[in-house]
Amino acid sequence: MSVAAEQTLSADEQDILQELMNIAFGRASADLAEVIDTYVVLNVPEVRTLKVDDLPEFISTEISEHDIISIVEQSYLGKFKGVALLIFPSGAGRELLNLFGDSNEDYGEDVSMASLEKESLMEVANILIGACVGKVVELLDDEVSFSPPRIIIEDHPRNAIPCEIFEPDSLATVMRTVFQFSERNISGYFFLINSNESFQWLKKALNLFMEQYE
Amino acid sequence: MINTILIVDDSTISRKIVKKCLPKDREFNLFEAGDGLAGLEKFKEIKPDLVFLDLTMPVMDGVQALKEIIKVDKDAVVVVQTADVQRKTISNVMDAGAFTLLRKPLSPEAVAEVLRLIEGTGHKKG
Repeated sequence: MSVAAEQTLSADEQDILQELMNIAFGRASADLAEVIDTYVVLNVPEVRTLKVDDLPEFISTEISEHDIISIVEQSYLGKFKGVALLIFPSGAGRELLNLFGDSNEDYGEDVSMASLEKESLMEVANILIGACVGKVVELLDDEVSFSPPRIIIEDHPRNAIPCEIFEPDSLATVMRTVFQFSERNISGYFFLINSNESFQWLKKALNLFMEQYE
Repeated sequence: MINTILIVDDSTISRKIVKKCLPKDREFNLFEAGDGLAGLEKFKEIKPDLVFLDLTMPVMDGVQALKEIIKVDKDAVVVVQTADVQRKTISNVMDAGAFTLLRKPLSPEAVAEVLRLIEGTGHKKG
């Protein structure tokens, strides 16, 4: 998985991006905690550069303890450009549905439980992805738009993890964090996979961010 | 008067930001640590007047480090700086004995204000 040094972020740039991710995901978690009655336990985020070809294997390894997963995938478009993946283990949709309100609530005969669980995952993804990407980009003094999200429910990782995100031979800057919902047996995996197209802009933006503290 | 400051954060960039946000017209003895456990050990060693403490860190997280620091010195002045601004986080750190919590990224204005508050209280804890 080694990549050429000139195509990667320097140690300082990587540290800045990791800190921005930390700030952004912290804000996103606070937004989510306002909507659902839970506490989001955060872990230290990680930033690395990978070959696009190696992404599926990397993600599979990260979530290897789960046989069945659900994925929400959403592209963000701007100078900061890439794909966000929010991955939950099997059963998370039902747990999240409970967090959104009364699990015995009557949603009507036309609404299936599977559909409600899907909506729960989509809503959590909408808050976390939107707030996190939005905050990173705001700190880097730019803005993004989002494509409609795509969701894959309860499937094996080999089927669910997208393999064709970017050009196969290119590189991607991967930001990853793991989080847990307190008092619920749910862990989530959050990946921002930034396209190589935005790499030069990202390097410049990270250095501009630090200039305000020079 | 605050002279000795310990900055505990796993991010070197974040520690750099804290240092840059300190008032330019004053001099401080600055010490750094890269995780909660190293921060606790450094705290015992130097007994700083003020600690800037991150929460999301490897080895020992900030809440645990805060509790351990307060066990060592119940009058320790610890300013938590974090991106995690969930209500429960804020109540957790305040209950554990933090002086206050500052939202990341820090600004010189926020740091100046918190120094003024600490020194204005006339005693260590506010």
